[in-house]
Amino acid sequence: MDVRSHVSMVFHLDKCIGCHTCSVACKNIWTDRQGAEYMWWNNVETKPGTGYPGKWEDQKKFKGGWKKDGDELKLNSQNKSDYFFKLFYNPNQPTLEDYYEPWTYQYKDLFDAPAGDDQPTAIPVSQITGEYIDIKKGPNWDDDLSGSPEYAANDVNLDSLTPQERSQLLEIERLAMFYLPRICNHCANPSCVAACPSGAIYKRGEDGIVLVNQQTCRGWRACVTACPYKKVYYNWKTGKSEKCILCYPRLETGQAPACFHSCVGRIRYFGVLLYDADRVKEAMSVSEHNLVESQRRIFLDPFDPEVVAKAKANGITQEIIDAAQKSPVYKYVVKWKMALPLHVEYRTMPMLFYVPPLLPVLGKSTNDVYANSLDGTEFSAMLDNARIPLKYLASLFSAGNEETIREIMKKMLAVRAVKRSEQLREELNEPTKRMVKETGLTPEEIQDIYHLTALSTFNERFVIPETRREQAIEEMIDPEFCKGNCGLGFNEMPPKIS
Amino acid sequence: MIIQFLFIGLPYAAIAAVVIGTYYRLTRKEYTVSSLSSQFLESKYLKWGSVPWHLGILVIFVGHLVPFLLPDLWADLVKHRSILIALEAAGFVAGVMCVLGLVVLIIRRIITSTLQLVTKPLDFVVYVLLLSQILLGLVTAYSYRYGSVWAPGTVYAYLFSVLRLSPDMTYVQDMPFVIQAHIALAWVILMLIPFTRLIHMFSIPLEYLFRLPQKVVWTNEVRWNRRSERAQYMESRRYFFRGVAGVTGAAGLLSFGVLEKSGHYFQGQTLDDAKEAALLEKRLKRMKLTTEEKSYELERLKNEAIYIADLKELQPATGKYFIDYEMRPALAFRDAKGLPNLLSAKCTHLGCTVGKDVDGQGRIVCPCHVSYFDIHTGVPQAGSPTEIPLEHLAWHVRASDGTIVAHGAPDGTVATTAAYDAAKSETYKVFIIKSKGVTVA
Repeated sequence: MDVRSHVSMVFHLDKCIGCHTCSVACKNIWTDRQGAEYMWWNNVETKPGTGYPGKWEDQKKFKGGWKKDGDELKLNSQNKSDYFFKLFYNPNQPTLEDYYEPWTYQYKDLFDAPAGDDQPTAIPVSQITGEYIDIKKGPNWDDDLSGSPEYAANDVNLDSLTPQERSQLLEIERLAMFYLPRICNHCANPSCVAACPSGAIYKRGEDGIVLVNQQTCRGWRACVTACPYKKVYYNWKTGKSEKCILCYPRLETGQAPACFHSCVGRIRYFGVLLYDADRVKEAMSVSEHNLVESQRRIFLDPFDPEVVAKAKANGITQEIIDAAQKSPVYKYVVKWKMALPLHVEYRTMPMLFYVPPLLPVLGKSTNDVYANSLDGTEFSAMLDNARIPLKYLASLFSAGNEETIREIMKKMLAVRAVKRSEQLREELNEPTKRMVKETGLTPEEIQDIYHLTALSTFNERFVIPETRREQAIEEMIDPEFCKGNCGLGFNEMPPKIS
Repeated sequence: MIIQFLFIGLPYAAIAAVVIGTYYRLTRKEYTVSSLSSQFLESKYLKWGSVPWHLGILVIFVGHLVPFLLPDLWADLVKHRSILIALEAAGFVAGVMCVLGLVVLIIRRIITSTLQLVTKPLDFVVYVLLLSQILLGLVTAYSYRYGSVWAPGTVYAYLFSVLRLSPDMTYVQDMPFVIQAHIALAWVILMLIPFTRLIHMFSIPLEYLFRLPQKVVWTNEVRWNRRSERAQYMESRRYFFRGVAGVTGAAGLLSFGVLEKSGHYFQGQTLDDAKEAALLEKRLKRMKLTTEEKSYELERLKNEAIYIADLKELQPATGKYFIDYEMRPALAFRDAKGLPNLLSAKCTHLGCTVGKDVDGQGRIVCPCHVSYFDIHTGVPQAGSPTEIPLEHLAWHVRASDGTIVAHGAPDGTVATTAAYDAAKSETYKVFIIKSKGVTVA
């Protein structure tokens, strides 16, 4: 057993309001530079929708992630015999057109325009060429556009639905949507690291953050193709790849990453998970149906004395073990089994987990009578009629295993029903009692879930292990040395922008 | 003067620039080492430009490198006309691919507005130089055909002379302008490598073939040193592989050389027409010489007696060399009685010519292994390497009117006839005669 600690995350989609505050916080700190204008290390997508870059989930086109080949895991994008030829031209690399051409407005015109009959306007100009552009695409162009034939209808995850289910989903009366904020998953089995020809991408041993060494990156772009989530970006100005760094300079000083810190809906949880690094490959080689469960089994119980002993033997500090024991992520992912990785079938073992949205909970009108599903209806029937089919959520979060989603939905419904009856001082009706029993949650657990979901404080949501001063970067290099560069791991300014 | 600069000054400037510049850029300016891919900004044309260009230039690079590194192998290959034509054709096709690819790349740079943001003036310089270089190469290949045959003896000889630090531009100074331009431009492009995006050729990621899929780096130095056994194992395996690859490569090259030599041995000499003609001529000359020699010998054998010297020329203490019937050296002395004493001068040990000076004890010495021979008997002194005595030769002495006045036999016996008159010995002449059956009565 090779015990390692990993900083990991939970996004509670039921609480996301799609405000993009996280994206803006990230953009302002990290990607507000030439060459990085188009990058959104954090972005929020509307689902059903095609996302950013467009149709990133279509791995037939982008060839990201791993594929299972017998007992082996192989990269979709390349192997050791053809990677060399893909250096010249990578057939699956997304281009600027797949993202969008970034733009700004000529705000100065609003003030400088000579007096006239018309209102002055701020004309959009490309942030790349500086020429006037006709905006046709943006990083969240399909925001709130559920049901749109161009965006929602092209969602790759809808392929799992029958034509009938599809047409129902897109009916105007039944329209439903939810938001999917995405950052780098800091996978435990990252395909970008495995694809990097120069060996510039690496995982930090202490916390598992995946970083690109800007000094040794040669811009071969293999990582951009290999990442199935398209969360490694090519900086066209510096010729290097960049990605979310999970705000490690903030983490090292005990602060949550900017997108977590700024989250308005408080949907984000941050904590440490202990896992067994020896079993990662084995766990990611099982059949798609079992991937979620096999990933859960990798995580180790931080209260188990044997695990603690082995962790300490492996150099994990007491501070990290304390954080792992208090980790909200451990509760959501392992204890309550309510959070799932996004597209686990890419077999990269993402360390960012989503609590799937329980939307819209309440039923629909039949025969012009609005039926409240919690009033004695069988819950399973209610889930079957959910406006967003479980199948769709399953293709996002559990590699098509609907049962996994159903269990989580039941747990969320149980918490809701119990808390509702508490508030109304009502007894639970029989079907509800049966369902609560089916979930296997104890009353204390239900209260815990409610508390962590709805009432948790800042320090309960973000449990960041203290950094040992003797291991901090100041011990190795002069911190002033990095001043003025963007903190991406290179100690040299990019070439002057002409 | 300009020629000297292009073929002697420029090469060393280029080599110095590429060595120092590349070292500096790879170590001090590592961040800037890349080709600054523009596929992100423009992908469609890149496919039709970058792929043919790189494949073509790799083929051409190998085609230029092999005759340089393995000249013997190359010579063996291009000896066969079919292989020669196949190689030349492959090189030409690759060159055409390069040109097409480069043209697409240049046009792409010019017509795509986003690409101009990542294009420096030096990029265009590189494009133009590369295009000119490939075109010059194609013109050379077309109009001065079969460069694979003539280049190793000329251009590569020049290149070797440059690398050996004794530049000899006589190999190339009388070449056609196109070829000279191709060579000079090659030095210019070489010089530009560390200062342009061409530097990316030094970052070919071969390391990728020998690494674990995952890479973990520990900030904590202590933990890094205790990284998983498997990682350490893989690392040592990587070094092992690298070592094995190096050793096999070296052994392969060595054994290739050895095998090639043995192959030549069993195959026998293969000569072209000119060499064979030269060899035959040499042989003919040698045979002519031999027959000439033989004819002299035959002519001598026809004579009953051959004149050696006048009797008065002979001295007792210093022998006179002459040639006997069998064309061997011999020595003539005068004995105490004033008669000739003729000895073979071919040492009976190993055939050296014995010295002509007689020492105080009446001996001559063979200088090769110091055998002393008594000049009267011809017997070697005890302790000499040989035990066989020197032979006496048969002779007679004629008076001026031709009458024989004295003669000697091969056994050393000497006799004078009645006509012998010591007072007239000044006019006597000494002859050797055929020794067979000669006795002194």
